[in-house]
Amino acid sequence: MTVKIETEEIVEGRWIKRYTGLERLLHWVHTGAYLVLALTGFVLFAPQLECAAGCQAVRNIRMLHRIAAVFLGATPILYAIFQPRRMVMHVREFLAFCRYDLLWFKAAIPYYLLGRHAIMPPQPRFNTGERMNALIMVLGVAAFGVTGVGMWFGKGIIPPGLFQAMLLLHDLAFTVTFAMFLVHFYLAVIHPLMWQSLLGMRFGYVSESYAREHHAAWYYGREEAMERWEEGQAEAEA
Amino acid sequence: MQASKQRMIDRRGFLKLTGAGLGGVLLRPSGEVAAASPGDDDLAILYDASQCLGCRACERACKEYNNLPDVEEPNSGLSATTWNVIQQREGVELVGRPFFNYQCMHCTDAACVTVCPSGALAKDEQGFVSFDANTCIGCGYCTQFCPFGVPHLQVANLITGEAKAAKCTFCQDKTRAGTGGPSCAEACPTGALTWGKRATLLNQAKARVSQLKAEGYRGAMLYGESEAGGLHRLSILLDEPAAYGLPTDVQGATTVAMIYKKILRPVTWGVFGAALVGVTGAFALARRTIHMEEVE
Repeated sequence: MTVKIETEEIVEGRWIKRYTGLERLLHWVHTGAYLVLALTGFVLFAPQLECAAGCQAVRNIRMLHRIAAVFLGATPILYAIFQPRRMVMHVREFLAFCRYDLLWFKAAIPYYLLGRHAIMPPQPRFNTGERMNALIMVLGVAAFGVTGVGMWFGKGIIPPGLFQAMLLLHDLAFTVTFAMFLVHFYLAVIHPLMWQSLLGMRFGYVSESYAREHHAAWYYGREEAMERWEEGQAEAEA
Repeated sequence: MQASKQRMIDRRGFLKLTGAGLGGVLLRPSGEVAAASPGDDDLAILYDASQCLGCRACERACKEYNNLPDVEEPNSGLSATTWNVIQQREGVELVGRPFFNYQCMHCTDAACVTVCPSGALAKDEQGFVSFDANTCIGCGYCTQFCPFGVPHLQVANLITGEAKAAKCTFCQDKTRAGTGGPSCAEACPTGALTWGKRATLLNQAKARVSQLKAEGYRGAMLYGESEAGGLHRLSILLDEPAAYGLPTDVQGATTVAMIYKKILRPVTWGVFGAALVGVTGAFALARRTIHMEEVE
């Protein structure tokens, strides 16, 4: 689903609202909780840290892990309660994969590594990579939730085979989501082309030029953006 | 042209860097796992069900030596405070000798040792599975991976997760010090429980099984010679293992534990390494090729 920018979202003709205040708050709560969970979980995961796991501080580490887990689980629930329509809209956007996403995959390496702007097809409010990151994180949090609750409260209640499967799935979810987190962190915070992405999540707005450059299908609408892009491609070939 | 050549070198360098980093991470050792086969000097306990009278002297000796609470209800199972227990079984072949002693089987391929994240459970150099309560963090993984259901968790607080696992330690303090052996075996009045070198006990057990068969116990068999890489608690049974509630296939949990530690963890390190190297290399390349003055 493509969401064309409405005129009232443009502030003083230069800054465009991308996220609501609640979305930004929940994003940062989620980020903080996820990082705490990753670091405290890593104590059990890394053999080199076994001495740390065995020391007295492990009580605090375990408590931190569980408190952070509650925060991580609370963020989607709070979003669903306070901004359900925005949440549904986002889920639809995340799932709206189409043939243009294949073009994104084709263009991603020359674009992000070599800065070849023209090759990147117009992207909606969330580009293909952002949507993949969001979906993987949503699935990861669901897996963390089910397996985490199972391992927290299920010992002696659920069959050992199920517990073992949960342990493997919990760690697998960590592997996949943390690798994705590293890529997301790089693209959102470090990559030179994407410097406004962080500003957007900090203040809620991105500049008009950034929206036009990185999310043209959102800025112009899919059809107009594609026409412009194809014209540009034809000119470049000529 | 010059710029293009420079870019090619950069890209090649990036790929080399990525490959080297990934290889290094994947080849890195992934922590200790249980030994593959019992050692020649390993110690073990031998339990002969044909000689057990069910007097429960072993239970009491275990409780006394390990300062555990009084003997629980007869025929109850293992728990965090009962590490050695006699149960009465039912079965045609067991008539007259219906008892069985349950305790830690001290596996060679001990799944509990493999999954223990703190090192509280470890393979002692004398073969048995030792346990250090001070190091235990109460994660309870051992209780979920042991194919015999031996370790139990004593939960102090379900919300905070404060807990300690517990199980038979082979009376490790005096065994290591050389001042004695497992209290259960030392206390057994009939010789149903004995301890010593595993190799010696194995020969004795095989001879005893032959003798029992000759006496008409057709179902007599030795349990523990090869299960889980070889148990350090050998058992002479009068019937098939299922009659005593013993598993015949204990590889499942061991295999999952090995996947957890030997495959999933190295793969995770590999994925993290590849992601870090890839991101670093991508940043180095992007810095050279993307000019900020052209970025809006």
